[in-house]
Amino acid sequence: MLKRLAAIAAALSLALFGLAACSSDSATSEADCGSESAFCIGLVTDTGKVDDKSFNQSAWEGAQAGATAVGGFAKYIETVDPKDYATNIGQFAENGYNVIIGVGFLMAEAMSTAAAQYPDIKFIGVDQFQGAAVPNLTGLVFPEDKAGFLAGYLSGQITTSGKTGAVLGTDTVPPVRYFGEGFRNGVAYAANELGKDYPETKLVYHAPDNAFNDPAWGGATAKQMLSQGFDVIFGAGGNTGNGALLQIAQTPGAYCIGVDADQWGTLPEAQPCLVTSAMKLIDKGVAALIEAAKDGSIAGGNFFGEVGLAPYHDFDSKIAQEIKDKVAALTPQVLDGSVPTGVKL
Amino acid sequence: MRIKTRYPLIVGLVIVFAYFYAQNGIVATSVSFSAIQLALPLALAAMVGVMCERTGIVNIGIEGTMLISAFTAFFLGAIFKDTVLGVLVGIFTGSMMGLLLALMAISWKMDQIIAGVILNILAAGLTSFLYRQNYSIAGTLSPIEIPILSDIPIAGAILSFHGPITYFGIFIVVALWFALYKTSWGLRSRAVGEYPSSADTAGVSVIKLRYLNVTIAGGIGGLAGAYLSLEAVGIFERGFTAGKGFTALAIMIFGRWNPLGAFAAALFFGLAQAVTSQLMIDEVVEIPQQFINILPYVLTIVILAISAGKVRPPAAEGIPYEKEKA
Amino acid sequence: MKRLPLSGVLIPLLSVLVAMFFGGIMIAVQGINPLYTYEVLFETAFLSFDGISVTLAKATPLILSGLAVAICLRAGLFNIGAQGQLISGALASAWAGYYFVGLPKLIHIPLALLFGATFGALAAFIAGALKAYRGVHEVITTIMLNSMVIAIADYLASTPFKEPDQPLTRTPAIQDSARIPDIFGIPFGFFIAIAFSIALWWLLRNTTTGFRIETIGRNRNAGWYAGISVKRVTILSMLVGGSIAGIAGAIETLSITGRFEPAFNAGLGFDGITVALLGRGNPLGVIPAAILIGGMRAAGSTVQFKTGVSPEIVDLLLALILFFVTAPLLARLLKRRHENVAITSGWSN
Repeated sequence: MLKRLAAIAAALSLALFGLAACSSDSATSEADCGSESAFCIGLVTDTGKVDDKSFNQSAWEGAQAGATAVGGFAKYIETVDPKDYATNIGQFAENGYNVIIGVGFLMAEAMSTAAAQYPDIKFIGVDQFQGAAVPNLTGLVFPEDKAGFLAGYLSGQITTSGKTGAVLGTDTVPPVRYFGEGFRNGVAYAANELGKDYPETKLVYHAPDNAFNDPAWGGATAKQMLSQGFDVIFGAGGNTGNGALLQIAQTPGAYCIGVDADQWGTLPEAQPCLVTSAMKLIDKGVAALIEAAKDGSIAGGNFFGEVGLAPYHDFDSKIAQEIKDKVAALTPQVLDGSVPTGVKL
Repeated sequence: MRIKTRYPLIVGLVIVFAYFYAQNGIVATSVSFSAIQLALPLALAAMVGVMCERTGIVNIGIEGTMLISAFTAFFLGAIFKDTVLGVLVGIFTGSMMGLLLALMAISWKMDQIIAGVILNILAAGLTSFLYRQNYSIAGTLSPIEIPILSDIPIAGAILSFHGPITYFGIFIVVALWFALYKTSWGLRSRAVGEYPSSADTAGVSVIKLRYLNVTIAGGIGGLAGAYLSLEAVGIFERGFTAGKGFTALAIMIFGRWNPLGAFAAALFFGLAQAVTSQLMIDEVVEIPQQFINILPYVLTIVILAISAGKVRPPAAEGIPYEKEKA
Repeated sequence: MKRLPLSGVLIPLLSVLVAMFFGGIMIAVQGINPLYTYEVLFETAFLSFDGISVTLAKATPLILSGLAVAICLRAGLFNIGAQGQLISGALASAWAGYYFVGLPKLIHIPLALLFGATFGALAAFIAGALKAYRGVHEVITTIMLNSMVIAIADYLASTPFKEPDQPLTRTPAIQDSARIPDIFGIPFGFFIAIAFSIALWWLLRNTTTGFRIETIGRNRNAGWYAGISVKRVTILSMLVGGSIAGIAGAIETLSITGRFEPAFNAGLGFDGITVALLGRGNPLGVIPAAILIGGMRAAGSTVQFKTGVSPEIVDLLLALILFFVTAPLLARLLKRRHENVAITSGWSN
């Protein structure tokens, strides 16, 4: 019996050695990090993956772009459990990284603690609003309500039935609320301007359980709205929202609006209905801040990233020029605050 | 026992429908259509459970089966730009998962709950590991208009224009019911699930029949997965089954392990979800969205609490079969 | 404590090794050195003081949620609701943690734990009562209750119990007097978890209540014949399971998260099911299972950083370990009789 055991053990170890020989060595080529010459950027994702087609991905793309621009090196760690934020941040901090990007508002506390602990490292917190400014922690925040408002304004202009809606994740996530309520107010603003009496935009939320990962529900809900005369629907809820967009794409005559990034590229199946997306340009913001960190111009406190509407793409010819002009005229006013969105949390 | 559950259900459904119809015909048909769309994956998944458990095997791994089948259905459908191929691949994948469960539960006599959990974890891990972006299918399975049916005033709008898997799924439900209760296969299967040793004595091969049924059931689970990625949604995302496989277990038990009962339960749950969304669309009530969202769950529990009666699963389920040594 | 028979330890050990072998193949396929990966994994999880501290911190809620599932399994009930019960407990203890001001630690902590246990038990009670008195299967109710509890907790943390002056959905931070400290670097909660494990083991083995639970777990009719009130024992088991899950949530809140914030307790209830199954439904068995899983999860960050292996590898390894521990393959290979422990036999017996 012992002989059998020994045989098994030997076989396993040999096999593993064999496998080890087959694969490349594990250590990454960032051994330079920590030295004077290297500029290393670390990204800690919110729970989720870097290829989630959503804000983790945008942040990572920005990190990579920034790394290329400054001739540095970028690496990410995917967070599985929010309680691991500090540990994940610590991996980069303890290994001489110069910039650490933390994605998502849930990470705000862990980032603050780390910033205090490592005063020489620059921290960039995506979606983390800084109440009090800390010199080495920059909050990359986006006025999502403005993007939502513009999308709503456009919707109010292009709708024929007057019924607009939004399929959302859960409103306990601040960006979703900003997007959704901004959208609602934007539609109302347009209706007001046109002198029309449109019903208020209907915001439909998923249950908190699996809120951002239930595209089947998103699709069914969108279908339900469509069959009741809704003709512009905003999908703002990760994969749940994407499900809505995909369903709307199958209904001729209906418009859908994407969120976070220009979903024309990230969700090509939605193109038939995707007139625009309410974007928050995370990648641009991250890249800009990385460059600022490299040249020393980065400051603590809040850095307001860009928001806006994605290009109309194929819808450019289908939207009346008058409407496009109105949106173009309103955009700077909303962005600089002269036209308030009316969203207050 | 079964009668007591059905009446409040049917009455409830009719009342809800009447309420919405009185308000607005369009809304009522819209909600009902949505109900079917939401119910279908649950119904198919519940069929998996019914078929397995009636034959004596507990299948907790429906969620994993759906997930991995949705994955293969989507990616192979995308690679070969052939959605129908995708569906077939999905069914095949599902049946392989069924076969794996059968192997673990029947031949290796492992604890069936554990076997199911293993399937789920494996499916989640593998699909996450192997997931790649930038794949698209040629197109989802398009809705079908059924000629005469679609002309009927109310029912037409509700029952027509669903996708092929939906109609096939309904067919499966009816076929399974028929097969279980009206054919000798069904009799043998149920016998194996209730009194395997007696069935064995009567000449039924318990092992073979269980293997067969669990594998076929897995295929149905694969169809459910293919429905999600190829008909309902049109993409695959990690974990996007969002717990439907587990809800289906509840629905199977709600439906008393009877295909038609489970289908009714699935419709009920789907309708509750559609009504929930409609309440938010109408902004009828001023309560926070979280509370509106728990409506389907509350309703399910309330209906079950009212319609008392002991739930009796197939007697021999979960117990690995050992031939009596003569 | 009596010594475990050799095969009781050998098979699980061998299972881990074999699982690691197959996991190693998947790692190698990614182009990464599996031996180095495992080296990093074990070193981080078990071979450094800091590492052990994190491992035990992660193992703590797993032990407790594993116990919650296990004790119900013993009674023949499948408690999938551990997640919901855990969240109830987490929220309740967070509230008790911030609401009461000026209490000494010795009172505040037990009080908050009590809140956690009570509300966890409450969530489980609904399922237990419905099963006992109306025959509603606990699988249905616990699945439904999970979603309901998450939704209700979400609402409570976003409106009445929300931390003022900021937009996030969470409760205010708990008072310092409610924080559970570390003892020599090890979270005190871990010792509480061990204590519960031993207590439950002793309960099942040496008390009448334990006997009743085991009896109805084996066969409800036998229980009835023996004059046991099946209804009462059912409810009792669910209450015990629920309160332990609630305490799991409470300890997480009081020692680690410091407040209730949805998403910070994700997955613990479901991992508890895996722990209970790995531990074969045995209150003591859940301890090594929880430490193993806790260790793997604790090392995930470093493994990712140093080797680039994606975090899913932990789940794949877990599935493989669970498989090899329970499938009779290894036992046959070693020519030993494999004890096929049927932990559950379906939805009821």
